[in-house]
Amino acid sequence: MLKKLLHYDLLYIYKYVGIFYILALIFSIISRIFISIDNSTIFNILGSFCGGLAVGMIISSLINAIIRSWQRFIKNIYKDEAYLTHTLPVSKRIIYASKVISSIICAFTTVLISIICLIICYYSKSTIETIKTLLELASNTLNVNVINLLLTIFFIFFLEIIFVILIGYVGIIIGHKYNQNKLTKSIIVSFVLYMLTQTITLIIIFITAIFNKDIMNLFKTVEVINFNIIKKIIILFIILYIVYNVIYYLIGEKLLNKGVNLD
Amino acid sequence: MNLIECKKLTKKFDNKIILDNVNLKISQGKIIGLLGKNGTGKTTLIKLINDLLTPTTGEILIKGKKPGILSKEIVSYLPERTYLDKNMKVINIIKYFKKFYKNFDEQKALNLIKKLNLDVNQKLNKMSKGMQEKIQLILVMSRNAELYILDEPLGGVDPATRDYILDTILSNVNKTATVLISTHLISDVEKILDEVIFIDEGKIKLISPTDELREKERASIDEIFRRLFKC
Repeated sequence: MLKKLLHYDLLYIYKYVGIFYILALIFSIISRIFISIDNSTIFNILGSFCGGLAVGMIISSLINAIIRSWQRFIKNIYKDEAYLTHTLPVSKRIIYASKVISSIICAFTTVLISIICLIICYYSKSTIETIKTLLELASNTLNVNVINLLLTIFFIFFLEIIFVILIGYVGIIIGHKYNQNKLTKSIIVSFVLYMLTQTITLIIIFITAIFNKDIMNLFKTVEVINFNIIKKIIILFIILYIVYNVIYYLIGEKLLNKGVNLD
Repeated sequence: MNLIECKKLTKKFDNKIILDNVNLKISQGKIIGLLGKNGTGKTTLIKLINDLLTPTTGEILIKGKKPGILSKEIVSYLPERTYLDKNMKVINIIKYFKKFYKNFDEQKALNLIKKLNLDVNQKLNKMSKGMQEKIQLILVMSRNAELYILDEPLGGVDPATRDYILDTILSNVNKTATVLISTHLISDVEKILDEVIFIDEGKIKLISPTDELREKERASIDEIFRRLFKC
């Protein structure tokens, strides 16, 4: 049943986000072609313009991936279509899992398409050299190799998107427990949960700092940071975001499993 | 075993009581009318049976079990609104039903749609509201369910369509299945009902076989209803 639900959930999201993917790829390719034409100011300007459009499409696809996931969730779980969703012989757990997994898949492909478009647009020997130098500088100071550094950046970005989507889902579920102003309450709850979680993160870092002088320096001084500390904080962030995502997933699942009250 | 059993069922919204301590038993193989004025708790009761609302107190049992996967496999529900994705083509909606409901008879649905001279490749949002409701009814009645719950199937449709709807219901239900029809248009449905449930202000006022009630009161169900719930 999960596979069947996923099919329809992904279809709904990609129907619109897919348009942005295609546009982003087209503009990236056109930009690449224009920029590769030497000694032409006009083509260089057009190339840069198309590159800008490609970046715009990448940002739009990212925003759309998140918004479409929330929109699908509200439509399917609380609006007219919910009368069909909740009368399917499928448990609420599976319905929720399908929504979350489809969002994760969409977030992943969006990040991937973004990287591909940026490579198409801006790949050149000199750009690669510059990025390589910057990454090598960062990787040397953090004592990790370039590939690991890139994967870490990609992974943190991906985790952050999932975190935002899950916070939205939990906010929607709590907001729809009320009988009035459901959407407004969903937005308020999501925002409060986001701020609360970020505050908890800060408190956890501060507690860690009590036992680690180097981390405490981040709070007390503006001195040059020890890069080993940044590495530790990055690892701490990754662990925290994974824990938050798991917790918010379970909260959402439990709340939805308690039942719905459709208008 | 009763098909549906409600025990001390109460539903409140912001302290407003919509259903009040309802005790109800529905057995198999009958066509039952859930009759009441607008806003008396008919749709709330139906939503509770279909797991679309959670009871404030009390419980509902369908074949002895709380609403869940098993009850959803045997209950075919027609809500009073369009619940299908309007961007989907009719053929894709049929495929959707076939995928999720083991008891969905695809051929029956296609035949009924063919009778309406409808193109199955047409999208739902290109159809009139009346046609969308007919499609929905066809899908619901194409399931070989044990319980059909139809919420206001005749609401807002012309007399000719009412006949079509009643005919579709009668000709597609097997004898062992139960049909629960909620409506306030009593005169249109009373001829097909085996039993009636009168509901008012969230309380069950009367449960009776239709013939018995007609004989006892020497009046039609419509007249009895008007007498009982005179404003």
